[in-house]
Amino acid sequence: MSTTLADGAPESPRSEAAPAGKSPGDILRALVRRELWEHRALWLAPLCTAAGLALVAAIGRIHIDLDEASQLASESPRVALFSIIQFVLAAPLYLVALFVGSYYLLDCLYAERKDRSILFWKSLPVSDGLTVCSKLLVGLVVVPFGVFALALLAHLGYTAILGVRVSLGSLPPVLTWSGYEWLRTEAVMFLLTLFAVLWWAPIAGYLLLVSAWVRRAPILWATLPFVLGPVLEWVAFGTRYLLGFIDYRVNGIFGILGFGRLNLISRHGPHHAVGTALEVLDFRGALISIDLWLGLAVTAALVYAATRIRRYRDDT
Amino acid sequence: MTAVIEARGLTKNYGATRALDEVTFDVEAGRIVGLIGPNGAGKTTALKAILGLTPFSGELRVLGLDPRTERDALMREVCFIADVAVLPRWMRVSQALDFVAGVHPRFDRAVAETFLKKTDIRMASRVRELSKGMVTQLHLALVLAIDARLLVLDEPTLGLDLLYRRNFYDTLLNDYFDKQRTILLTTHQVEEVENLFTDVIFINHGRVALCASVEDLSSRYQQLTLVAEQAARARELQPFYEREVFGRVAMYFEGRSAAELGGFGELRTPSIADLFVAKMQGPGRP
Repeated sequence: MSTTLADGAPESPRSEAAPAGKSPGDILRALVRRELWEHRALWLAPLCTAAGLALVAAIGRIHIDLDEASQLASESPRVALFSIIQFVLAAPLYLVALFVGSYYLLDCLYAERKDRSILFWKSLPVSDGLTVCSKLLVGLVVVPFGVFALALLAHLGYTAILGVRVSLGSLPPVLTWSGYEWLRTEAVMFLLTLFAVLWWAPIAGYLLLVSAWVRRAPILWATLPFVLGPVLEWVAFGTRYLLGFIDYRVNGIFGILGFGRLNLISRHGPHHAVGTALEVLDFRGALISIDLWLGLAVTAALVYAATRIRRYRDDT
Repeated sequence: MTAVIEARGLTKNYGATRALDEVTFDVEAGRIVGLIGPNGAGKTTALKAILGLTPFSGELRVLGLDPRTERDALMREVCFIADVAVLPRWMRVSQALDFVAGVHPRFDRAVAETFLKKTDIRMASRVRELSKGMVTQLHLALVLAIDARLLVLDEPTLGLDLLYRRNFYDTLLNDYFDKQRTILLTTHQVEEVENLFTDVIFINHGRVALCASVEDLSSRYQQLTLVAEQAARARELQPFYEREVFGRVAMYFEGRSAAELGGFGELRTPSIADLFVAKMQGPGRP
């Protein structure tokens, strides 16, 4: 009893020198990669959508119903239509990404508690701050700008497919490629993605907080307050301030940018290329909008709260 | 000797329940410490406090760091397996290695791969496809490959069959443990691992009932097995616990010499399991 097996253990052969640490950048890269392993819908869903659209481009019939088809006889309206189609084809990808990205933010911190894998994640030298940041980074940068890049590549693919069809005579030559307008449309889409991310960041922060905080039914906690709140306010006071506020925090950016002034398609006048938005929309004004920056400050607070909850919560 | 863990007056309440009540103990480097107690005794709470997973009051230094405020630095030196099968179920084995290699500065991927080659675990498998025993093996492979100073194991082999359990502890002892490392382990299967321990801490109702090295136990505690007729006289030496075994009586003493007890019957050092039962059920229990 006085000696145990452990007494025969060797002296440590390993070196005493501490190995070089991992930089936060290295760790963040590993964390982001791990999110894309776990939540495969984040990239699978947009990819499948893009593949579906490519199929439509390859075999679909394009029906253009304009009062004055003769408009398309000259080059400028054909370029405008080309840029509008470039814009419209990206929309399904963004919609899908918005859906899977929101669900991801709501699920990521909840799922690791539900399956108790948080105990494994927490056994590694990764701070809660870096972990939560990696999830925010996926939701606000990797997914939106990943979709931007996917839309760009997909559009080049559709253009090639449509070009082949036109040359084969299965489509009328109603679109005209213009490198300049193509670039301008991409710039518009990049800026819109950027401002959508900045404006909707507080929603992402709120989803993360709900994900870190609730014990069950995160979807209900994420949505019900925004339904019940306005209803209760209306019943109790007959006012609609809350509804107005929610509407502003969701759609306000469109007003700030001046979407009302944008007039790409008109039935009777000439069409305008998407690139005109660069002149029409007030990106500078949006960037210096106090509400945009207030929203970002609120995002920081919400993410900080989610981090604190993950750090000190003990319900495993 | 430097203390790897210094706990002074650890206290933790869950609502009205006191999970830890002024718990004080030291764990020195190069030891294998068994934290032993019945269900709900506060073992897991103590481990969670050490790992910075739960708030508490009192003083606690782990490798010289405060787990409440310096957890991130602490986790570079500490490894833990909190429970069986907490590895994320969606993960592939290769992804688990990639991930730990990506975030842990002290992870040696080759060590993990060498260990996994000796098992039936394939790199492409997902955790959800592995048996419970294999998940534990995978987790052990990750832990073995991390050059940590303190390893904390909370019931790591619960629910595994005997072969997996035996392999787990053999690997731990042969491939991992050395004099620079410290292992803190809780388990219900005390009999199986008692030869592993250099130190034991008994904990019950949130209090430390015993904290001693295994060498100290053999000089402090005696188990006397004697025939029933001798029992009355032996009882005058005040055993703290006794039980009947096949018509004979086993008595447990603290601080008696062989000269005092030898005449009554067969004298030996109690096993950790026996001592645990005696301490938990004897009159001196908290």
